[in-house]
Amino acid sequence: MAIIQTVDLTKKFGNFTAVDHLNLSIEEGEIFGLLGPNGAGKTTTLLMLVTVIKPTKGTAYVDGYDITREPDKARRLIGMAFQDPKLMWVVTPWDVLNWHAKVCGLSSLERKKRVKWALTELGLWENRHKSVHTFSGGMRKRVEIAKILIQRPKIAIVDEPTTQIDIVGKHRIWNMIRTLRDEGSTIILATNELYEADLLSDRVAIMHKGKLLVCDSPKKLKDSIVGGDLIEVILEKEAPKTLIEELEKIDKIVEVLVLKPNHLRIYLNRAEEILPQITEFFIKTHLPIQSIRMSEPSLDDVFAHYTGLTIEEAEKR
Amino acid sequence: MAQIALFGLIANRMVKEAVQIEAGGNYFHFYAAGIVITLLYSMAVFISYDIYEEADHGVIEYLLSLPISRRELVLGRAIGGGLRSFLYVAPLMLIVLLMIGITNPFRILIAFAALFLFAFGVSGMSITIAVSIKSHDRFDILLGALNAFIVRLSTTMYPVAFMPEQYATLAQFNPLTFAADIFRWGAGLEASLLANPFLSVLGILMFFSVFTFLGIIFYERQLEGGGWR
Ligand SMILES: Nc1ncnc2c1ncn2[C@@H]1O[C@H](COP(=O)(O)OP(=O)(O)O)[C@@H](O)[C@H]1O
Ligand SMILES: [Mg+2]
Repeated sequence: MAIIQTVDLTKKFGNFTAVDHLNLSIEEGEIFGLLGPNGAGKTTTLLMLVTVIKPTKGTAYVDGYDITREPDKARRLIGMAFQDPKLMWVVTPWDVLNWHAKVCGLSSLERKKRVKWALTELGLWENRHKSVHTFSGGMRKRVEIAKILIQRPKIAIVDEPTTQIDIVGKHRIWNMIRTLRDEGSTIILATNELYEADLLSDRVAIMHKGKLLVCDSPKKLKDSIVGGDLIEVILEKEAPKTLIEELEKIDKIVEVLVLKPNHLRIYLNRAEEILPQITEFFIKTHLPIQSIRMSEPSLDDVFAHYTGLTIEEAEKR
Repeated sequence: MAQIALFGLIANRMVKEAVQIEAGGNYFHFYAAGIVITLLYSMAVFISYDIYEEADHGVIEYLLSLPISRRELVLGRAIGGGLRSFLYVAPLMLIVLLMIGITNPFRILIAFAALFLFAFGVSGMSITIAVSIKSHDRFDILLGALNAFIVRLSTTMYPVAFMPEQYATLAQFNPLTFAADIFRWGAGLEASLLANPFLSVLGILMFFSVFTFLGIIFYERQLEGGGWR
């Protein structure tokens, strides 16, 4: 049985629907990615699961407990590291984490051990008695993550855990999230970073405008993309519409996505064979190519397949 | 503070002999005890400003996400707020007690226990109001009105015999009256309102229970992260 099951989970803020009839099922022991651009409704979904905000409609079951009927029981199983670190009246990382561990019911011995471990692993040990108000965004974020690493809840929610953190720090946090899972926690990871979702998740749900677009393992999602390969072309001039239609007529080209008027993403089969043909096409139509690049589909292409937009573009709108 | 004390001294001179007698001999003692209770009340109400600040900084979402029940959370907040106000007021309370002179330590202990509960109850009430109206501005207005009302209609500043009759009736049901009376009784001031100080204790107990209970219900029903001003 799924450890988390959402049933038409919906949240409206006034007339605006932030989460729209979401049906998700999360298995025990998996790292479940929730991928979507800013404003997709990821955080709102997570806040409903952890019973901080209440659904307008629908519900979710957390290990069998209905979040609308038995919120106290559901909440006890979950720990959440927030997207925006929540600072408190206690100001040093040491105090913030000790307080958190205490409220989570850890014995004073266990508390000391885990707080020390987390602070050391996250490179905060030296700064443990400094005020978090003087910390950079990345350091605050690490204090926030440390909370659930110490808590080790049955269900750990991490909301954009590595924004503002440098690449070395990202890898360290990713490893710690994996370790947490290996120790028995189910992880829900909300992110707008494709690479992070792809790298960590056993399964990914892609959200857009409050709705679930699709949910499966990253590999299956990418394999489902029409045409196994893709080529990105940046032109020196804008490409007219008629030209794109003509391009799509080339054999083996499945779909052409116009990211910008001069930036095309071409989904196709056997890219290496038709690459010359495509270059030739642009030369013939007097559209000089600025750059051309072959790559594998990513989760962004899955997103683009459903929405016609890349995640980056979706965030701008 | 200095102004209030000054007012007390002046008032002491001005208040008629009759009041002096009603108040148990020394109006200044009576008044000083009243100030302590008013201060305790004001400090305990203060917890709401913490809650608004937490809402502003999003900390409220963190608190609501902790793996504890709403009941534990509200009780923790109310007790924390009550305890803090008690600690703030403790020095003044001691000074006043020393000034009046401690005659019966046992009474003082009972009075302290009751005042602890009173402070928790006030914090609980403050939380209930804050959480149910959710707006800092409206809370300020409501609190101002409530303070004027609840402090005036109590025996903190004047003995009940010195009040207009309708005021006096209402004052008898005011938790601030209970608190002031139990403190004066504890300090050995034979204050005027209640024949039996245990009625005051009972009143405080009821006040505490009702508002802690209401606080929990409102936390559960009303409160969620977001939507605060
Ligand atoms: N408390 C709130 N009041 C009104 N609108 C909100 C509130 N919280 C979130 N929203 C809106 O709901 C949408 C989804 O937000 P959010 O869940 O934070 O998205 P994500 O985490 O995917 O970036 C956004 O458009 C946001 O502006
Ligand atoms: Mg978010």
